[in-house]
Amino acid sequence: MLWVDKYRPKTLDQVIVHQETAENLKKLVTEQDCPHLLFYGPSGSGKKTLIMALLRQIFGTSAEKVKVENRTWKIDAGSRTIDLELTTLSSTNHVELSPSDAGFQDRYIVQEIIKEMAKNRPIDTKGKKGYKVLVLNEVDKLSREAQHSLRRTMEKYSASCRLILCCNSSSKVTEAIRSRCLNVRINAPKEEQIVKVLEFIGKKEGLQLPPGFAARVADKSNRSLRRAILSFETCRVQQYPFSSNQAIPPMDWEEYVSEICSDIMREQSPKRLFQVRGKLYELLINCIPPEIILKKLLSELLKKLDEELKHEVCHWAAYYEHRMRMGQKAIFHLEAFVAKFMSIYKAFLIATFG
Amino acid sequence: MQRDIRKWFMKAHDKGNDNAATNAEKKPPPTEPKTETPVCGGQEGSGRRKTSKYFAANKQKQKEDKEVEDLPAKRKAQNDGVQSVKPPPSKKVHKVDDEEEDDDFSLPKKKNDASPSKKLKSSSGRGIAQKPVHVNESDEDDVKDTESPLKSGGRGRGGRGVSGAPSGGRGRGGGRGGFMNFGERKDPPHKGEKEVPEGAPNCLAGLTFVISGTLDSLEREEAEDLIKRHGGRVTGSVSKKTSYLLCDEDIEGRKSSKAKELGTPFLTEDGLFDKILSSKNSKAPAREDSKVSVEKVASLPKKSPKKADLKSSSLMSNAAHKDLGAGSQQAKQKDQAIQRSSLIWTEKYRPKVPNEMIGNPSLVTQLHNWLKNWNEQFHDTGNKGKGKKQNDSTAKKAVLLSGPPGIGKTTSAKLVSKMLGFQAIEVNASDNRGKADAKIFKGISGSNANCIKELISNEALGFEMDRSKHLKTVLIMDEVDGMSAGDRGGVADLIASIKISKIPIICICNDRYSQKLKSLVNYCLLLSFRKPTKQQMAKRLTQVANAEGLQVNEIALEELAERVNGDMRMALNQLQYMSLSMPVINYDDVRQRLQGSAKDEDISPFTAVDKLFGFSGGKLRMDERIDLSMSDPDLVPLLIQENYINYRPSSIGKDDNGMKRMSLIARAAESIADGDIINVQIRRYRQWQLSQTGSLSSCIIPAALLHGSRETLEQGERNFNRFGGWLGKNSTAGKNLRLLEDLHVHLLASRESNMGRETLRLDYLTVLLKQLTDPLRVLPKDEAVEKVVEFMNVYSISQEDMDTIVELSKFQGHGNPLDGIPSTVKAALTRSYKEERKSRMVRAADLVTLPGKKAPKKRVAVILEPSDDGLREENGDALAESEEENSSDIEDMEGTGNGEKLQSELQSLNSKGIQVEVELKCGKESSKSKKTPTGRGKGGSASSEKKPAGRGRGGSGSSEKPGAKRKR
Repeated sequence: MLWVDKYRPKTLDQVIVHQETAENLKKLVTEQDCPHLLFYGPSGSGKKTLIMALLRQIFGTSAEKVKVENRTWKIDAGSRTIDLELTTLSSTNHVELSPSDAGFQDRYIVQEIIKEMAKNRPIDTKGKKGYKVLVLNEVDKLSREAQHSLRRTMEKYSASCRLILCCNSSSKVTEAIRSRCLNVRINAPKEEQIVKVLEFIGKKEGLQLPPGFAARVADKSNRSLRRAILSFETCRVQQYPFSSNQAIPPMDWEEYVSEICSDIMREQSPKRLFQVRGKLYELLINCIPPEIILKKLLSELLKKLDEELKHEVCHWAAYYEHRMRMGQKAIFHLEAFVAKFMSIYKAFLIATFG
Repeated sequence: MQRDIRKWFMKAHDKGNDNAATNAEKKPPPTEPKTETPVCGGQEGSGRRKTSKYFAANKQKQKEDKEVEDLPAKRKAQNDGVQSVKPPPSKKVHKVDDEEEDDDFSLPKKKNDASPSKKLKSSSGRGIAQKPVHVNESDEDDVKDTESPLKSGGRGRGGRGVSGAPSGGRGRGGGRGGFMNFGERKDPPHKGEKEVPEGAPNCLAGLTFVISGTLDSLEREEAEDLIKRHGGRVTGSVSKKTSYLLCDEDIEGRKSSKAKELGTPFLTEDGLFDKILSSKNSKAPAREDSKVSVEKVASLPKKSPKKADLKSSSLMSNAAHKDLGAGSQQAKQKDQAIQRSSLIWTEKYRPKVPNEMIGNPSLVTQLHNWLKNWNEQFHDTGNKGKGKKQNDSTAKKAVLLSGPPGIGKTTSAKLVSKMLGFQAIEVNASDNRGKADAKIFKGISGSNANCIKELISNEALGFEMDRSKHLKTVLIMDEVDGMSAGDRGGVADLIASIKISKIPIICICNDRYSQKLKSLVNYCLLLSFRKPTKQQMAKRLTQVANAEGLQVNEIALEELAERVNGDMRMALNQLQYMSLSMPVINYDDVRQRLQGSAKDEDISPFTAVDKLFGFSGGKLRMDERIDLSMSDPDLVPLLIQENYINYRPSSIGKDDNGMKRMSLIARAAESIADGDIINVQIRRYRQWQLSQTGSLSSCIIPAALLHGSRETLEQGERNFNRFGGWLGKNSTAGKNLRLLEDLHVHLLASRESNMGRETLRLDYLTVLLKQLTDPLRVLPKDEAVEKVVEFMNVYSISQEDMDTIVELSKFQGHGNPLDGIPSTVKAALTRSYKEERKSRMVRAADLVTLPGKKAPKKRVAVILEPSDDGLREENGDALAESEEENSSDIEDMEGTGNGEKLQSELQSLNSKGIQVEVELKCGKESSKSKKTPTGRGKGGSASSEKKPAGRGRGGSGSSEKPGAKRKR
């Protein structure tokens, strides 16, 4: 089993990184009725872990006994029926799902499926909690319509159902929803905290950690604990005993993005743009979300750019990301960004070096 | 959508074939309209000429004389001025011109999309006005030019301005030829540097040119245009009739060797210019020259007489009447010509005998034979007995004529039947052709359909009458592909009719491949009419023109034939229309006339993109652009997006470092992205009123920014537009996403992890791959295999999932992640994995697709226990919760608590073709999670009720009534 799963804290007590939050959550559910919750924070900061631990706190071990279902729903949308396939992860007391998987039809998931789930009051044999929990992932990817439909559900069925929303950025969740939830921000762990966790794992696994190695892994992880543990393990698979200057392998796709980046920096021509398009397609085919590509590309570019260009390039990246979310064919927007960058950078090069 | 695409491919293909077939004489259709635009330049000249042509030929000559004399004088004056100031730098004067022209040219370029017509016209008008000066220049400097092309920079630009306007046909070499035109021709070395001369309108009349290789300054289309404008003809291959082979370098091709063989003289581009110029400069020799040429041609067979006719005057047209078509027609026509009947020409000149039909002679013969033999084939055998009917399997009772409109399908059907003495009964789309009533056999008639039924089944009546006198009938079902909603059951009924018919049936349609006709095709003899060649058409058109006393030269008629795309009817209509306003029609008139009213043909997205991006794409009118981009609003933007990078925009002029081009590309890319956003609005929120905006930003703006010549970006790439890559990439991405989702579900089902799909891809995948492949590389075989299989079991990763992981980690230009693993190890892994799977009995029945039609489709990842385990351990006090995860799924199976039953159930599931993938979940829970059968039954049902609605029944729920599921 991967360490990242093996050493995932199962209860709120075991949590190392966000101890304070965990304490508060524990108090919240033990002392009083749990409100709707909105967890937000960067990926790899421990939202999911906290949610699972919280569920366990509420429902006991039964929350861990989950079943995966991949089910097609027939939804009557006025004139036609829509088939929606949705994967849910459910235990007796909670259901977890990612409504944004349905793309722009997510509205129907919220309106029909979630509502139906929320409506049914669990029959509680043991007189425990009188409600069940719906965990919705990636709420920030829900369309506006879906979020609007969610509002009423949250209020109307709050007696029988609690929602735990989970997302990366709260800015894409509408005000209305945010105000209906208790917002819990999960910060990305500090590097010292990551080091601490890595050392904890190292100790459990009985590994010899050369000094500074954990710090380097933490440094490379971009403050994502998951990333840190995963690459820690990758290093372990690759070479053990560790040497203090051991290379920490990057993720395959990140490597590819930085390749694209250096391609762009080296030459700005239609031909190069064409090649870059091919590489971007390659990333998209391999299921890398376009937003992530753009973000990574920008950060790679920023590393190599002159100060005076940084601002402008950031502006354009934001501009095209916004448009990408409004559009549908991500490649068009990625390509537009690359073309724009090439044109800016080329002008800059000519202006500076003639 | 998909069907559309297929259709297009077919069409494109067809078109391609067409091209290939007629390539010799025809320019491929895509190129035509590009050459259309220049007409506005030529108009001025032709307009002037036109007026003169209302007078008699003599007068015309005089006037021309005057013009010619006039011009040299002017020219001389100006020229003198120039030369007296400074002989070498004639540039100075020109520079002014240049700048003016530059202005004119840069302006329309920037705005040419918004208001192209006016600006262009003015600039081109100026180009013409200045022409004489330039002409003279180039005449003198031509030789110098070729020697030192670099010197002529300034002038060259001026020249480009002028020549660009009137000819404009300078496309992007070979690539623009569209789909099938693979070869790439080099750009002319001194492209646009020479003045294109303008000579007397018919100075090349009677001469036939073949162009070979790259010319010095003209693109091939320009050269063709030039020759045609001066009355010459251009053919594709060298033959005896060829007067000159136009080439600047001997490239030892087929054409030149053939020409040598036949002794055809070679002519360089400069030679051509001289020829044209001389016709104008020194009038006398030119006249003589053309006379000579006429005489020369006159000696040639066939076409020349008409040409001579045309050249001379309308006097001859009477004579021409005499050698007009055959037989009965002649007298009639004469009458008509005299009284100028109001009959439209298409009716008037409809062929009266089969020989008059243009093109497809073999098909007409075939039709003729079929009809002639029909009676023997079907009637006689029919008389003998029904059993013998249709013993000749190849014989069909009906015939299906197909082909584009206006090429004479109906006419030939009628003619043939008339000739064979059949009485033709025509039923076309204007009649209601619905399914006949079944009652028809009872003799009730009324609707048209019933009449048909009666007609075809009623031959028997005819027998009773005098057979010899009886008129045989033939039924012509015209426009069968037009049988639509109104004609419910029409085609089926038609087929039924064909089966019982006692008379021949001729069906006519445009599109043989139409979905509607699919069934009909099997019952018919298929005859596909092809478009007649332009020569054939021109010949016939000449006859008509002569009969009507219209002066048209053959080149113009060929152009007309080409423009209407083989539609004879349309050609005649156009001709008649033009005849109303002018008695003399020449090449330019035809071009001008048909420029706007060119036949609305089905343009493939490739053609559309070619045109939009073409060299003269900037000269298209806005509505033309919209038409082009709307020809398929889904596919054209994709093609544009795929190819826009390849174009070297012609609007930017000099661009040393590629800066301008790059910024144009950036603008185009943004505009394309705009188009995507608009498309979302259109599709998702049904804002269809935005569709024009959408095509504007996704097609027209990028094309307007970047139109020019196409260049290849990759080695070995063919220089024609690629098909949009997005569709393929998108579907691959979709497939991979599904695979990833499967993997995700499996990982979730393992209950070891709880990651999101995105996280799985971004963070986990690399590690998973390492865990799965690295041991295989490093460790000894058995150990490695064991380790990997164990890892796979922990995360319930199947072999397919492993393939997914490998697939998703592949990046172009990076090695295959499986490299370096010996194949023996791989084989061992597979074997061991399969073995493990066998040894476990029941397992995570993962993603079982439930059978049953009514039940909503549902795939469930279930973790089943090894059955022996489940039966042996009957722990009454097992936790209800811990049991639930599987009990709910297997309760139905295990309801009896019988292991055998479970097995057989599973087997039956298997035998039903349901893939039950079994994976052992030997987790700790499994051992303690059992309880008594009775308890299980109860607990199971209780839990199932407790379950939220989303959780249906488990994997075996299939055997249950679907209604129960609904209920919950």
